[in-house]
Amino acid sequence: MADTQTTDAGRNILFGLYDDEEKLLDAVKAANADHLDIDEVYTPFPVHGLDPLLGLEESRLHQAGFVFGTIGCLFGFGFMTWVFTRDWPIIFGGKPYWSVPAFIPITFELTVLFASVGMVLVFYTICGLAPWAETRRLHDRITDDKFCIAFDATDLDNGAVDKLRDYFSKTGAESVHNKMVAA
Amino acid sequence: MENFVFSSRAKTITGGAALIGLVCLIASYFVDGGEGHHMRFWTNLLHNTVFFLGIAFIAAFAYSAFTTAYAGWFVQFKRVWESFSLFLLPGLFLMGVIIVGLWLHSHHLYHWNDEAAVMDDPILTHKSSFLNKYWYTFGTIVFVGVWYFFVSRMRQLSLAEDTDGDSSYSHHKKIKVYAAIFLPIAGFTSAAMIWQWIMSIDSHWYSTMFAWYASASLFVAMTALTIMILIYLKSRGYYKGITAEHFHDLGKYLFAISIFWTYLWFSQYMLIWYGNVGEETIYFRQRLDSYPVLFWGNLLLNFVLPFFILMRNDTKRKFGTLFFASALVFFGHWFDYFQMIKPGARLTLVEMEAHHGDDHHGEEEHSMTLDAPAEHSTMSMTPQQGDHGEEGHGEEAHGEEMHAGEAHADDHADKAHHDDHGTEMTGHMEAAVEHGEGHGDGHGDDHSALGFKSGYTLPGLLEIGTFLGFLGGFLFFVFSRLSAAPLEPKKDPYMEESLHHHT
Repeated sequence: MADTQTTDAGRNILFGLYDDEEKLLDAVKAANADHLDIDEVYTPFPVHGLDPLLGLEESRLHQAGFVFGTIGCLFGFGFMTWVFTRDWPIIFGGKPYWSVPAFIPITFELTVLFASVGMVLVFYTICGLAPWAETRRLHDRITDDKFCIAFDATDLDNGAVDKLRDYFSKTGAESVHNKMVAA
Repeated sequence: MENFVFSSRAKTITGGAALIGLVCLIASYFVDGGEGHHMRFWTNLLHNTVFFLGIAFIAAFAYSAFTTAYAGWFVQFKRVWESFSLFLLPGLFLMGVIIVGLWLHSHHLYHWNDEAAVMDDPILTHKSSFLNKYWYTFGTIVFVGVWYFFVSRMRQLSLAEDTDGDSSYSHHKKIKVYAAIFLPIAGFTSAAMIWQWIMSIDSHWYSTMFAWYASASLFVAMTALTIMILIYLKSRGYYKGITAEHFHDLGKYLFAISIFWTYLWFSQYMLIWYGNVGEETIYFRQRLDSYPVLFWGNLLLNFVLPFFILMRNDTKRKFGTLFFASALVFFGHWFDYFQMIKPGARLTLVEMEAHHGDDHHGEEEHSMTLDAPAEHSTMSMTPQQGDHGEEGHGEEAHGEEMHAGEAHADDHADKAHHDDHGTEMTGHMEAAVEHGEGHGDGHGDDHSALGFKSGYTLPGLLEIGTFLGFLGGFLFFVFSRLSAAPLEPKKDPYMEESLHHHT
């Protein structure tokens, strides 16, 4: 087919859609067994057991979460300490200015707030997501109910592409598509 | 799958531990004999009985809650929880010993069981419709009996399912009905019983968070023990279908319920600190002053360490770290129960000694010992925080506070209690006033900071021995129950799901 040739316009993606995550997992296993080089897998929801099959490293997002949480914890506690002992000391109910038990709920809340908002921002940054970011989806139903395995077919000859098409039909893909995407 | 084989070696170890524990328990009866009330023996018996009975109860509760919630992941090892929960029966017999002691007045675990004390004490009189030996006996026997009924029915149905389970899953459906009925009954009755068994040791004190707090503690201990037993069973070659995924989920429970426990611990502390009501603050005042290792060690063992150890993903998936964390919090929550029971029991002991010295004065004394530090505590809970050095707030150091407090006792009682509680507390206030007068003859000062006493301030060797003994006995029971039936259920509808569990 003509669209398998290398073009300057971008990459030629050959992808198959599956209608079930179990079929997807089996297909990924088959691809690993055949030493096919999967470019990317798209699923509408997180599929358990997919990460190790794709050989993905464990995410380090939670380390960012820990750092942001620690910052939030220290910030919340430190801010209240400063306000209630230095900046504007007020006696509440006869308690001392530095009333640690009263600070703990707010410290906890700020820890959670900083950790969660910080992780969202880090996640968006890593994934290149922003309100103005261009959405590149291979197929509309990938965000709905289809599971997608994509190969980069830009540099493949016809024999290799036929091999991929065989692979898709063998592993029960519902449909196989081609799409040019920006490099 | 095959049955668990309870090897003779395992029998020797668990049975031997149980024997050592029995020896330690009996020894504690005589070690403490000089003081007359054998308090160390009775508190050790109560502590370990309630702890292991509670683990059995929570296992039944978790089993029922998961079954009701259509959970499948735990089904492979549900026989372990069935075996845990059957321990309710031996636990009931052990509680029977305490009940007999209650009727024969052979122990003084509960101040409310002293009729003379109750008559002179408006707070105890007020509570006597619930805190009395009839309720205690009735509640323990009937409620634990009812729990055991549900547990044994569910066990029977589960075993029957193995042999004659059918495709309509009628056994499983019946288990679900029993489980759903058990849950609300268990929720209410267990709260009532933990008030009677543990909270009423500090018989003037009360906390609405207590039942939650105590059962969260048991939940962590139960999860920790489950993890340790499953790791042991896996190391013996059983439960091949239980993978790191199951341990990951159990580890998450261990982590999450530890945090939940901390949340309840803190809420209970903060509400009492914030409310600053004398009868409530005394509980923490005592523990901060006389039992700092219990108080802070409790937080270290049950919050700080499990929080940082179990936070990472991989520590919940590796047997070594998970076993270590489980052992830590299992001991930690036993330590927590020690902390709930011993300081209150020791205070009762101190009062009893005073009672022996001078009958009339002693009666004044017991009503004031609980009240008196309360008067201090309304003020001194704050200076304790104030120690961290703020200027100008001007609270005395704690030692001075004690003396200052005596002088203020009368006023303060007026202000603190009359205003806040209206007439209901008038009796209590009078008791406090009496206390102020009673001080002339030099009693009372020594109650606020009690010195070190093995078995109360910290667990002594006898306590550790008794703990290991009860643990050995519990494990002996659980393993013999486990060996009596196939380890894995055969026809449970959720068995397949459990085998394919992924987190």
